[in-house]
Amino acid sequence: MKNFTQILAAGVVLAASAMPSFAAEKVNVAAISGYFAQGFGVSIVEGLNKAKADFGIDLKLVDTGNRALDYEEQFSNLAKTGEYDLIFVMGWELVDALQKVSAAYPNQRFVFIDGVLDSDKIIYASFAEEQGSFIAGALAALVENLGPEFDKIGDGKAIGFVGGRDIPVIRNFLGGYEQGAKYAVPDVKVNSVFAGTFDDPAKGSELAMALYGQGTDIVYNVAGPTGEGVMQASAAADKYSLGVDVDMCSSAPGNVLASMLKRGDIAVYSIIKDEVEGKAVKPGVRTFDLASGGVEVKLCEDVAAKLPAEIPAKLEEIRKEVVDGKIAITKAK
Amino acid sequence: MKTALLPDGLIRTLAGQALAFVVALSLGAVIILMIDESPIAVFMTLMRGAFGDAEKIAGTLLQTTPILICGIAACIGLRGGMFNVGIEGQLFLGGFAAAWVGFAFALPPFVHIIVAVACAILAGAAWVAIPAYFRVRYGTNEVVSTILANYIAVLLTSYFTIFLFKRPGGWSETPPILPTAYLPELFSFSRLNIGLLIGLFLAIATAAFFRWASAGYAATMVGSAPKFAEYGGINVRKVGFSVLLASGAVGGLAGGIETLGVHHRFMEGFAPGFGFDGLIAALLANGSPIGTIFTALFFGALRAGSLLLEVDTTASREIITVIQALIILAVSADLMMRRRGDRTGERRWKF
Repeated sequence: MKNFTQILAAGVVLAASAMPSFAAEKVNVAAISGYFAQGFGVSIVEGLNKAKADFGIDLKLVDTGNRALDYEEQFSNLAKTGEYDLIFVMGWELVDALQKVSAAYPNQRFVFIDGVLDSDKIIYASFAEEQGSFIAGALAALVENLGPEFDKIGDGKAIGFVGGRDIPVIRNFLGGYEQGAKYAVPDVKVNSVFAGTFDDPAKGSELAMALYGQGTDIVYNVAGPTGEGVMQASAAADKYSLGVDVDMCSSAPGNVLASMLKRGDIAVYSIIKDEVEGKAVKPGVRTFDLASGGVEVKLCEDVAAKLPAEIPAKLEEIRKEVVDGKIAITKAK
Repeated sequence: MKTALLPDGLIRTLAGQALAFVVALSLGAVIILMIDESPIAVFMTLMRGAFGDAEKIAGTLLQTTPILICGIAACIGLRGGMFNVGIEGQLFLGGFAAAWVGFAFALPPFVHIIVAVACAILAGAAWVAIPAYFRVRYGTNEVVSTILANYIAVLLTSYFTIFLFKRPGGWSETPPILPTAYLPELFSFSRLNIGLLIGLFLAIATAAFFRWASAGYAATMVGSAPKFAEYGGINVRKVGFSVLLASGAVGGLAGGIETLGVHHRFMEGFAPGFGFDGLIAALLANGSPIGTIFTALFFGALRAGSLLLEVDTTASREIITVIQALIILAVSADLMMRRRGDRTGERRWKF
């Protein structure tokens, strides 16, 4: 009984001491997107719901649907009353409406997730892809270095990369990947190709098959829907692929080594956390990196079970060095 | 002598339609109760979202425009006995054609709009020409062929957008059209443009055509009693083909107005479902272009209201889709009951 009262008392004290640090008013957050039910969007909703449970914020989710005609009114309906402290926005098709409404309501703070636009009125949540890709490159090189001893690996000592279009952000993925691979295994070869499109799975599959045919055993997919073809090709060729953005282990079970995750949930959660703690979020770019857990490499369990134990250990070591700043990764620009 | 702009049996039609609406809205209220919202609160929010202030009214009219023009396209087909379910596809191709003229050519201000709109109309007509040819030449069911053409149209425009004309960087969309091709906006505070006026004019012109022009009478006869029309010396095939072509042309125009007036570019999958909304509006109005103005306005108001509904209440915007579906069910039931009353054996669709 005494114990119980103590816990209770401690709880009250804790709650009381925590109270003043919360902003005086309840934080009111809205999020708008057409993708809350899939992939990256699901992880954003998870982050928002976690913030709601932890901080008791008010949360409003608005699904844009797929009619471009509606977007602008949906944004103004949200922004007009000024009741939302932050409005999270995800999806490139919304950029036009976002920029117009942000110009019309300059005091409304919008958070654009996973991208940076021209406007300086908006908060941008961006991800340090080069850091996550560095770990992915190191992993691929280490596994490739095991040689024919390991299941599905040849003696080519080559790893691959399929990019969507040849644009700076994808170059940034490739740069991190190459640097990570060379860091872990200096003599590994990195074969990279660009599909020229993000919307063509057939092309992704064709390019991945060509890479596998050249003795490449592991291909990193950074190609959006084109990349679905890469994942399928790894199953068809019975080689390995690396997923991107979300956990792709289930898209070709047994053939996906790992996925480089962009943790939308961590990004939205930490932005809301700052806001709740009274550190009002200001317009500008916020980058989520390995240190904050915004990007990470998640091994697929089925394949990870077969890996020699020193590989995960080595990866963890490299991750720590990147986080501590001992390894400098050059960003492609 | 018939000189009225509205069809006969108006009272009977309106009463049936009104009853259908009441039944559908009551069922909708039950569903709203089931999701723990007050039907009255939902209704009030809908009204506020649709007609709350000048901006909201403009928003409603903005939503009404494509539904109205697609509705007129459907009316033309229905009157001539042709069920053009391919308006969606004609809208996509028309929208793309207009945007293409808008961004690929530099023309003087007024001329640019005319050329772009003309291309939209041509694209819509060209797209329906294939199903129309098969319909009149081989008797292929146009319902099936125009529906199938929709999928091809949507994917074809996606292909054009992604592979041939994609704007560098960002989303799958074409470059923006030149300002010379923008349709003039009606108010400074809304994207509402003269497309609405074009739609209203078209509705009145179409109604007048079917009432007073001899070609319009011929088309109505072909639609309601093809054997009789043929006996009367009308070239049924030619009229049927022209009716479908005209319907497709108006469908293309609807798309052109959307890209030139609202979006100022073509986006992959830019306006899904408007073709079908227009068809439903036309069916609800019993194939009358004037009636379609009101049913399109009703759907436009529902859609505009639903955008606020989602923000201001816990009800999902999709509740509107449910209510819309209930209305369609109720009105089709009304139509079926009426049709059973006077079965002549000749008519494929009675309008």
